[in-house]
Amino acid sequence: MMIRNIITLTVNDLAIAFKNKSIFLILFIPFFVYISLTLVDEAGVDIKKINIGLIQSQQYPPVIVEAIQSADALFSIVLVSSEEQGNTWLKEKKIDGLLLRPEKENISLVLVVLKKESVLSLQIVESFSALQKAIEGTGINWISDIKPLQKGGIQRQTLPTWILMLVMLVSFIIMPAQIAEEKEKKLLLALLQTPMREIEWLVAKLFLGMILIFMAVLFLHLMGRFSFGNVASYVAFIGVGSFCFSAYGIFLGFLCKSQAGARTLGVIFYLPHLLPSALSEFSQKLSTVAPFLPSYPLFESIRSILLDDRTISTLFPAWIYLFFVGLLTFFMSYLLMKKRWRM
Amino acid sequence: MLIKIQNLSKTYKEKRGLLPFQLEVKQGELIALIGHNGAGKSTLLKLLAGWLIPDSGQVFVDGIDLKNRLAIVRKIGFVPETPNLFDFFTVEDNLKLFARLFQVPFSRIEEILKAFNLLPFRTNRIQVLSKGLRQRVSIGRSLLADPSVLLFDEPTSGIDFEMTKEIYRLLKAFHSSGKTIIFTSHRPEEIKTLATRIVVLHQGVLVFDGSPETYFQSDIHEKLYL
Repeated sequence: MMIRNIITLTVNDLAIAFKNKSIFLILFIPFFVYISLTLVDEAGVDIKKINIGLIQSQQYPPVIVEAIQSADALFSIVLVSSEEQGNTWLKEKKIDGLLLRPEKENISLVLVVLKKESVLSLQIVESFSALQKAIEGTGINWISDIKPLQKGGIQRQTLPTWILMLVMLVSFIIMPAQIAEEKEKKLLLALLQTPMREIEWLVAKLFLGMILIFMAVLFLHLMGRFSFGNVASYVAFIGVGSFCFSAYGIFLGFLCKSQAGARTLGVIFYLPHLLPSALSEFSQKLSTVAPFLPSYPLFESIRSILLDDRTISTLFPAWIYLFFVGLLTFFMSYLLMKKRWRM
Repeated sequence: MLIKIQNLSKTYKEKRGLLPFQLEVKQGELIALIGHNGAGKSTLLKLLAGWLIPDSGQVFVDGIDLKNRLAIVRKIGFVPETPNLFDFFTVEDNLKLFARLFQVPFSRIEEILKAFNLLPFRTNRIQVLSKGLRQRVSIGRSLLADPSVLLFDEPTSGIDFEMTKEIYRLLKAFHSSGKTIIFTSHRPEEIKTLATRIVVLHQGVLVFDGSPETYFQSDIHEKLYL
């Protein structure tokens, strides 16, 4: 009898999980991980050419230039007018590395990269080393020094990922569940029986999301003792990011009738918005997919402000894009609320 | 005429809901809305309370179009079958929230707590209260703005005998104070005790509208419930 009851209850629980769509996560998460792993570049498969920047006015050792030109399957040369332009192109990922010739050195060069600890930097150094061995056998290393553009250790470099994680957590996990709870328990309908306007409720929810995100980011900085970079630009992007994704989360909440459904939908949106953007630096394939997600402009902008000392003036299109995504999802939530959608 | 319903309808994909419907309600009437489950009773109340958007038709309450939600919410109070209160807040905090939104003074909360015998429970969280007490808080909340029309969806469903009697007392008191009340019910004794007029819905269509005497003399009740 006891076993029969346990079986009955287990079947019932499975039915509930199916009904509230939690079971779809069992299918979705492995599927998503599979897709992500497929997009993360596998070693030895279709290695992308390294775009190496050379300054037009500099006299590079002919042996190195000829070696790079001959290894056209591995390198492609991009000529830049100055070191400043090279640095800008590095930040914009138009080139992967920039070669500088120190005045005192005869043959060795300085390699400028975005990040010293990245897989790409390692790939460039290894490629040069292999090229040198093939041409000269042994001798003085062609690359005598590596100069990173982005300062700070791994902790600081992972900060944009943690921030994105917090923003996504509040927006896709907390907000939809809260909205759906108010719908499920008919609390929103109770509030709508007062002279409260729909827009007031929506703005209050938006403020809730934004306050939670600002608090979480502030705690992260206080606990990790991270500096803010350009404060005005940083606050502007956290502000527009929290607006955009809180509105997005409210919209997701409106699509669901129950809290359980909202949690499931939240996870389904959380992972694809977080991982491709956060992993885009480690994978060429993901870096082509990620820009299609609204999370990417936020991640890239925060990363540029914190690590490259860029300001909002150069990142304004991303700010506008996030603002409009937020505005659009906010308006869609308003329409759903007016229609008493799934209430 | 206090409430004028013209061609009001709401249909669902899986259910019939309410087919184009007309009704006029005078001030001070106490109407029992009866019918089988799915007859359209709750749909009608939810349409009047603004919980649902009608497919067609118009409703005027005291001359104000139902679409004018901000004005109409002060005219109509709705008490759903399951009290929809903020569980983690206390009785008093729930009432305070709605008092702020209705912009009524907090002294009104004291009146409500006293009138509904809720003073001993004012600091209790909603989640620890019985369904009957929650229902009383819910009724109290609907009266904060002192509306002229009160809608009750099965007010005594799932409530014990003592609390049912208390709800009857409250309904009678509201009626004697001149309020117009529409309630849904399946209980013949409730209809007999309270109603001054009976409206019967069947599959979304009005099939009877008359006095309790006429209703119980006819065979409609037997046809519906027996």
